[in-house]
Amino acid sequence: MAIEKNYYTIDPEGKLQCMKCGVLLEKGKAKFMYLDNGFPVELPVCPVCGFVYVPEELALGKVASVERALEDK
Amino acid sequence: MSQIEERGSTHVYKVNRISKEEIDSMVERCVYEEPPFCNAACPLKLDTRAMLKAAGSGDLKKALQVYEKAAPFPLILSTGCEAPCEAKCRLCEVGDGIDIRNIEKAIARYGQQTRLGSIFRTKKKKTVAIFGSGLFPLFLAGELEKKAYPITVFCEQETLEAFLHCETPFLDTDAFSLELKRLKGKDIQFVFGCTITSSFLEEKRTAFDVLCASGSVFQQLYPEAAFLPELMICEAAQLVTCREEGVMAAAFGAKKAALTVDRLAQNLDPRNMRGSEGACESRLYTDLSEAILLKRIPENGQGYSAEEAVAEAKRCIQCHCEECMKSCAYLRHYKKYPGLLSKEIYNNTQIIMGDHQLNKPMNACSLCGQCTVVCPNGFDMAHVCHIARQNMVSTDKMPLAPHEFALLDLYFSNGDAFLARPQPGFDTCRYVFFPGCQASAIAPETVKAAYLDLCSRLEGGVALMLGCCGAICDWAGRYEMTGRTEEFIDREMSKLGNPIVIAGCPTCAKELKSHEEISVRGIWDVLLELGLPEGGYGLDRPVAVHDSCGARGDAETQKAIRTIAEELGCTVIETPYSGDRSPCCGYGGLTAYANREVAAEMTEQCLKRSEAPYLSYCMACRDRFARQGRESRHILELVYGTDAGSPPDISEKRRNRLTLKNDLLRELWLEEPMEMKLDYQLNYTEEARRLMDERMILTDDVIDVMNFYRETGEAVYDSESGLLIARNRVGNATFWIKFIRESENSYTVHGAYSHRMNVVKRQG
Repeated sequence: MAIEKNYYTIDPEGKLQCMKCGVLLEKGKAKFMYLDNGFPVELPVCPVCGFVYVPEELALGKVASVERALEDK
Repeated sequence: MSQIEERGSTHVYKVNRISKEEIDSMVERCVYEEPPFCNAACPLKLDTRAMLKAAGSGDLKKALQVYEKAAPFPLILSTGCEAPCEAKCRLCEVGDGIDIRNIEKAIARYGQQTRLGSIFRTKKKKTVAIFGSGLFPLFLAGELEKKAYPITVFCEQETLEAFLHCETPFLDTDAFSLELKRLKGKDIQFVFGCTITSSFLEEKRTAFDVLCASGSVFQQLYPEAAFLPELMICEAAQLVTCREEGVMAAAFGAKKAALTVDRLAQNLDPRNMRGSEGACESRLYTDLSEAILLKRIPENGQGYSAEEAVAEAKRCIQCHCEECMKSCAYLRHYKKYPGLLSKEIYNNTQIIMGDHQLNKPMNACSLCGQCTVVCPNGFDMAHVCHIARQNMVSTDKMPLAPHEFALLDLYFSNGDAFLARPQPGFDTCRYVFFPGCQASAIAPETVKAAYLDLCSRLEGGVALMLGCCGAICDWAGRYEMTGRTEEFIDREMSKLGNPIVIAGCPTCAKELKSHEEISVRGIWDVLLELGLPEGGYGLDRPVAVHDSCGARGDAETQKAIRTIAEELGCTVIETPYSGDRSPCCGYGGLTAYANREVAAEMTEQCLKRSEAPYLSYCMACRDRFARQGRESRHILELVYGTDAGSPPDISEKRRNRLTLKNDLLRELWLEEPMEMKLDYQLNYTEEARRLMDERMILTDDVIDVMNFYRETGEAVYDSESGLLIARNRVGNATFWIKFIRESENSYTVHGAYSHRMNVVKRQG
């Protein structure tokens, strides 16, 4: 069986709640896309509406550095 | 807001806007890599500068290593050398040149030899025989030993001492024993007591790959044979040899001969791939104005002591051309001289697949043109970076991220904040005031005062145009956008009756002058003609005038600003690098957007020229200096008695432009502008404001997110921080806002961040 690859995983650990649906965010499958590249990740996702949460540390850290690397490709 | 299309990663090669020839001809202008004059004058290509640097630092061992690269027997060479380098020393032009030969003698005598032999080195397979004795065979053996050839010297002498002594009677006992020790340390085989005849030589031909002979052996055995001095070879006799006499001639001949041997040993034509041989001319530029002139250390006929040699070597000014490096913070940041940097930037534009590592340096140049003025050969780094940016755009490889904020700002200036109106009471006008986008953003009151003044004192009507001249997209290399902006400005100008532009910004003036239909004057010229209005003020302490890069090469504008400042009662200080040599404040070329670190270094460099308050005539310079806490004024603030105060943040800059437009529409053209009013209240913590400015997030972006949140209710509650977090994708970025809902219609923003990647839920 093929092992699914994830570039990054964040578990919300019950600390985040979707205000629209009133449920807790869960670790769920998401995808970052930039300049025709896609990266499967696991992020806090609302199980009802599918809201994907990108925490500040991730946005300013890993995401920003991958953005810069792809921009210079 | 208009959106700019992000590039894809599947490149379709379109137009190459940069040519290799163009770059090569520019690179040719950079003389950084040219040899210093002493080095160029030396036929042996001794790196005199490096040798003197090592010696000057007291490291005679290292100095000797450098010297030995050119001279396998340094004491013999330094004694017999004619020192053509000394006459070329640039210090001779202003005082005493360096006594290079005596320093060399001291280095050879006192410098500790490091490598006594090369017996452990892997030898080459091809073998060389040298016949005869004298300086040429000795030097040639030394050169070939460095190249690791197995060498056998056949000589008439019976001992090594006799072999060395026969041609070096000028050496004193100490020097002789030192050179003898050096010779013994070299991996050279000697066969003594030979009688060298034709048959002897021919006999050895089968045992060795290359044969060499001293000049006297060659003369004696082949008196009629032709000799090629440039290759040091007699082709008829298949013999590498020499003809010249004297130490220098022998040393230079041995260098050439060693190269010939090298080529022959590899079965290659000795004529090819010889590189530059012998003395040459250097195009290096040396600034002698800062040279510290000291007298030559006297030499008493006995040679320098080690200490004296070090002191004399210390006087060397280490000729380098670093005029651009001295003045440009950008080149200093990347620690690369323009010739090399241009080559690398050109290569960056030609990469089809792979990393474009020079994107950042290419986008960090402020395109200010200072290098062209300070470079003795007029190297134009701005042109190189500008066409490189255009090329990246034309081949669809230019990332949008470094310039997108500025380009969207241009869209804002020429969209929501744009205003073009004839003076009330006129259909078309003789003049149009074009203050520039930064003036409206930073000092809207000053713009208003200037416009009202021009309207009241000029005949024929003065229209107003608030917008961007197009410099932003031009700097970004977006040539198609630049074309569209030019057309837009032209259309608007034509509606106003193609008036004469009165520019409030030197960069706008320069940019608009490139339009065929537009004639441009600077407001400074108009003010001098009309006389300064009432209400202006000068500062009671001296001011340092910072010249705008837009006014480079425009002596009249530079003079006009100083005249106005003096008429206002200012005492003007001229700083180093003023006028045409002025550095960029860090805003030009979009450096402030693409590379904040370099931009900050540029600002710092500008400010370190003087402790006085700065007086600028470009609003971007005024803003950047004020942001660094320096008292900073624009000349128009002084003329109109206004004070733009502390610098606005990025959102205030936009709001100022919009407010100025709306106020003027209301007051002068009696129009009620459409103004967007929020039906809820947004407050910001100080920290949120700081983060937004640092992360280039506008209040408009926050409003976009909050509107989306209020529409959809989509947000996350973080139980740890107690904050709500909402997001919206605006253009090419996703903005996230952290806030507290104070009431149904009131929110306090605590933080904001963004990313350009798009994120979606994945199935399965």
